Amino acid sequence: MSLISALNNVHAKGQFGDFEGKDDKNLLSISETTNLLILQIVQYKSSNSSLDNMQVDGLNLRDNPSLVSSNDNTRILWNGPRNWILVSQKKDTLNEIEQKFNDNEFAITDISHSKAIIEIEGKEAKEVLKKGCPFNFGELEKNQCLNSTYNGMSVTIDMLDDDPDKFRIFGLRSFGESLYHSITDASLEFGYIAK
Amino acid sequence: MTQSYRIETGGLINRNKKISFKFNGTSYFGYEGDTLASALLANGVHLVGRSFKYHRPRGFFGAGVDEPYAVVQLYRNGETEPNIKATEQELFEGLEASSVNCWPSVNFDIGAINNFLKIFLPAGFYYKTFMWPKSFWYKIYEPFIRKAAGLGVASTKHDKERYEHKYEYCDLLIAGSGPSGLASAYSAAKNGAKVILAEDKPRYGGSLLTSDVNIGNQSGKDWADGIISELKEMPNVTVKNRSQVFGYYDHNMLVMSEKVSDHLPKTKKYHPNKRLWYIRAKEVLISSGSIERPIVFGNNDTPGVMLSSAAKEYLKVYGVLVGKKPLVFTNNDSGYETAIEFKKHGVEPIVLDSRSNPQSEIIDEAKNLGINIKNSYVVVAAQGYKKVKSADVATISEDKKTLGKIENINCDCICVSGFWTPTIHLVSQSGNKTKFNEEIDAFVPGVSKQNETTLGAANGVFTLEETLKTSFEKGKELSKKITEKDNEISIPNVVEKKYSKHDKFWCVPLPKGKSYKRFLDFQNDVAVSDVEIALREGYRSIEHVKRYTTLGMATDQGKTSNLNGLQLVSEIENKVVPSVGHTTFRPPYTPISIGAIVGREVGKHSKPTRKSPIHNWHEEHNAVFVDAGVWLRPRYYKRGNETLFEASKREAKNVRTNVGVCDVTTLGKIDVKGPDAAEFLNRVYTNAWLKLPVGKARYGVMLREDGIVMDDGTTTRISENHYHMTTTTAQAANVLSHLEYYLQLVWPELNVNVVSTTEQWAGAAIAGPKSRDLLQKLFPKTDVSNEGLPFMGYVEGDLFGVKARIFRISFSGELAYEVNVESDNGRFMWEKIIELGEEFQIQPYGTEALSTLRIEMGHVAGSELDGRTIPYDNALEGLLSKKKDFIGKRSLQRAAFVAEDRQRIVGVVPLDKKN
Amino acid sequence: MLHIKCPHCGMRSQNEFSYGGDATVKRPELNKEVTDQEWDNFVYNRVSPRGKHLELWQHLSGCRQWIKVERDTATHEIFKTYKANEEIA
Repeated sequence: MSLISALNNVHAKGQFGDFEGKDDKNLLSISETTNLLILQIVQYKSSNSSLDNMQVDGLNLRDNPSLVSSNDNTRILWNGPRNWILVSQKKDTLNEIEQKFNDNEFAITDISHSKAIIEIEGKEAKEVLKKGCPFNFGELEKNQCLNSTYNGMSVTIDMLDDDPDKFRIFGLRSFGESLYHSITDASLEFGYIAK
Repeated sequence: MTQSYRIETGGLINRNKKISFKFNGTSYFGYEGDTLASALLANGVHLVGRSFKYHRPRGFFGAGVDEPYAVVQLYRNGETEPNIKATEQELFEGLEASSVNCWPSVNFDIGAINNFLKIFLPAGFYYKTFMWPKSFWYKIYEPFIRKAAGLGVASTKHDKERYEHKYEYCDLLIAGSGPSGLASAYSAAKNGAKVILAEDKPRYGGSLLTSDVNIGNQSGKDWADGIISELKEMPNVTVKNRSQVFGYYDHNMLVMSEKVSDHLPKTKKYHPNKRLWYIRAKEVLISSGSIERPIVFGNNDTPGVMLSSAAKEYLKVYGVLVGKKPLVFTNNDSGYETAIEFKKHGVEPIVLDSRSNPQSEIIDEAKNLGINIKNSYVVVAAQGYKKVKSADVATISEDKKTLGKIENINCDCICVSGFWTPTIHLVSQSGNKTKFNEEIDAFVPGVSKQNETTLGAANGVFTLEETLKTSFEKGKELSKKITEKDNEISIPNVVEKKYSKHDKFWCVPLPKGKSYKRFLDFQNDVAVSDVEIALREGYRSIEHVKRYTTLGMATDQGKTSNLNGLQLVSEIENKVVPSVGHTTFRPPYTPISIGAIVGREVGKHSKPTRKSPIHNWHEEHNAVFVDAGVWLRPRYYKRGNETLFEASKREAKNVRTNVGVCDVTTLGKIDVKGPDAAEFLNRVYTNAWLKLPVGKARYGVMLREDGIVMDDGTTTRISENHYHMTTTTAQAANVLSHLEYYLQLVWPELNVNVVSTTEQWAGAAIAGPKSRDLLQKLFPKTDVSNEGLPFMGYVEGDLFGVKARIFRISFSGELAYEVNVESDNGRFMWEKIIELGEEFQIQPYGTEALSTLRIEMGHVAGSELDGRTIPYDNALEGLLSKKKDFIGKRSLQRAAFVAEDRQRIVGVVPLDKKN
Repeated sequence: MLHIKCPHCGMRSQNEFSYGGDATVKRPELNKEVTDQEWDNFVYNRVSPRGKHLELWQHLSGCRQWIKVERDTATHEIFKTYKANEEIA
């Protein structure tokens, strides 16, 4: 058995674009994130369970637009009303959830293999996002997320950090190569290191 | 080579850096900071092109975006671009340009014969002449007109330049960096607002670069430089030059084209040539200034006739004299500013003023300098063919109808000023209903529709003091609404000259017995006589006159001609200008490269591509791909010299005799979960779903409310509350939205979640008589016998350590299965199937063989479910439940849908029932 | 390009939405007898007003919620947006 990640065929390590004469520390860095547990969690309309009692990996589900609840391993992204995307490095979180969440009240769907995930870090990262995504990034802060489009492809963007800016971009897996091209192409002007 | 028209010192060019360039094959030099126009004028070159219709010689008329004549073909770094204004193109080392619309050369142009045939080329000539006979249009008329007309040639090569797009948001977008733009940007920026200040020229400052004013005890230009450098330091401010805001769209979305590299010999690698900005602004301040308008007189298109403000700009910004014997023809005080500039540089101008006795500070200054001023005088006609040699002038009566005796004055240029027209294109695009201002004989902004405010000359305010005051205040007021900060700004004192009133005079009458062409639209060669013909022939609406005569329809969009055209129509029709109304201003304000509009969505990236996780294997095995929506799917796997037909026949036959495998990852997959999932499916599909047991799949058809088949596919009950729905590749996204529509809007009481899992699973269809044998090898621990996995059965299996879903479904009539594994394992699964299938003579098959197989079996697919057919048409009426209601059921009772003569799919078999 | 306030996510660009037609049409209940005219009114007959119009949009590349948008069809002004089952004021 050999796992092949979504961007395995296109992500080549090295320095690209207008990087010459620039300090490596100032270049954008781009990488593929693999092997995450990704779940969609939806609370059905008739469910009366209080979200205050529903914890996953110590994190609460919170129905606040654009909010990300996070700890070192797990991030829970608001995905819509009563709808979240859980992203975790701990695969056994799935067992925890299946035990805690009653399937008459919650729909839990594993979509770990559905996504191509690009991480981009650097002070121009927002500029790269602005080239294809119509969202107002001036308003986005650390630990906030959004769904939008990038060059016509649906994406989820999670802001991991702000010093420097760091984002995780989730695209549909089949669009992965096109999305990777769009993001790296938009980064050429600044120069980037593919890690 | 010397530059005989460049003054010794002065101007904003860098005289330490010479730049060489070529125009029509001749080498010249200019300086850093020149435009192509200023550099040519410095070299005494006035002839730059031929006119559109009559091929009359053309020179320079303006100094910027309003230029109607000097449109050239540009060559840069091995590429060529048409429709470039020489007045906007900055000089760079090695620039090459050539004239357009002339053949074989600008000096000897065969098309100029049209000039002598002009009596035969009046308004509507093309409409009237080339209509008949109809068959001649494509073969004879059109190619001839195309060759004779046109403003340059588009390159047929692939464009190597990069063009990028960018979305941006701001509190205030300020279009134009003249005094009003600078003042409003400054006070808004001080209030902490996020400001974008856009300037289309390379230099900031607008009119302050050429006007003789003082702000806060410094020259206007120094004040502008100070403000700009302060703004550039502020983190909340973006200042952009070479950036034209060219379109104002809905909800305060504006589009700006930034020329990132056009002023460089070559675009820096990885950087864009142009960047298109989509800017959503909370408030828009339009400080686009005004454009001088010409006065119409005979042969007013002769090279050497130009706007007086352009002559001043060439002198003050570029240190270039447009002539050494200038005649200034004006109806207002602006012409005197130009005359004074000439005089200061040792050139003796003559001023002809149509007014009888104008009095003002600036006229006094001109008089004190000893400038020759003739009141109640007009230019009747310019003389000279390729360049102005003299002017026929005459006195004019107070009512402007009668000319005195014609005299001839020697001159080498005629600088015209017919007062100022506010640039209201953006204002009008935003939906603002403009109004006519009698004071200035021009349209000005009326009531704003969107959050837009117009300042300064664009708003018809021509005094600097008032402009600065209102602009500082507006910037402060609008930013305060957003940031809730209120920083005090002290408004600097202003020293400027007072102007007297302009003369409401725009067209010199023809002297008796003369038939000079008096041009209104210089780029499209529309003369006064053409508009007269249009009105004589019954055209009344200004929009019709525009289209019939092509007035204002050239690439300059009539920036210098629209108002004079309106004046003429209103005069002939005896109406006031506002009741004639102006034609619609449409974006773009100025020509924009197609490349900039397209951006990076070019070539294979013109649209995104979707690929299955097994795609690379297909590539490595000679798959020929076909577009299925944006998916790429193997159409067939080519062996040797096989044709499509041969390959697909081979692949299909192998399925019928052995076993084949097909990548079906692209099929839409939707997880349907929830306590009410069965009830939901029962409403969505036409057949019954409530009793489907766990571990079984069923084929279903869904309709739209109008009874038309929307999609089909199998859905499997994975567990009590969990279904795995499949859709066709093409309809996957639409089906998901359709399901969400019913769950959210129509039946919100149902507790069901739907989510796409198309990408979660890689799928392989294994079909053929040997498929079960192969399946058993793939899943040695699973019972895949007919009893263990019956038709429409579903089991989970272990594919050498990888969890898999196995469905027994068939679209080919053969024994067939579909195996799904999580996408990261997709290629592993595929290679295992191929490896273990070898002993069963397995072959992969593509969409072509897939279609062959399903047609042989009589199974409908996308070609039949084409959005126009009902179940009956596809022989699917057996799937319509009579016991329950479902989406679209009621529509099937419509008369047309129960008609007996509907087209219907039928199976065809050979008479011998073989072959 | 319109700027639409998703009642769940906030102001977003039109690129994220898809249009869904007249929002005032109500589907007849399942299993209920309806006349041809009633059914035609539901499926086909639409007024195409110049001016205020309540319409459906789906925040397709956002929260995927269907929303109702009160928009002026002539000027594109958006007056108010509502959640799928919110009471229309």
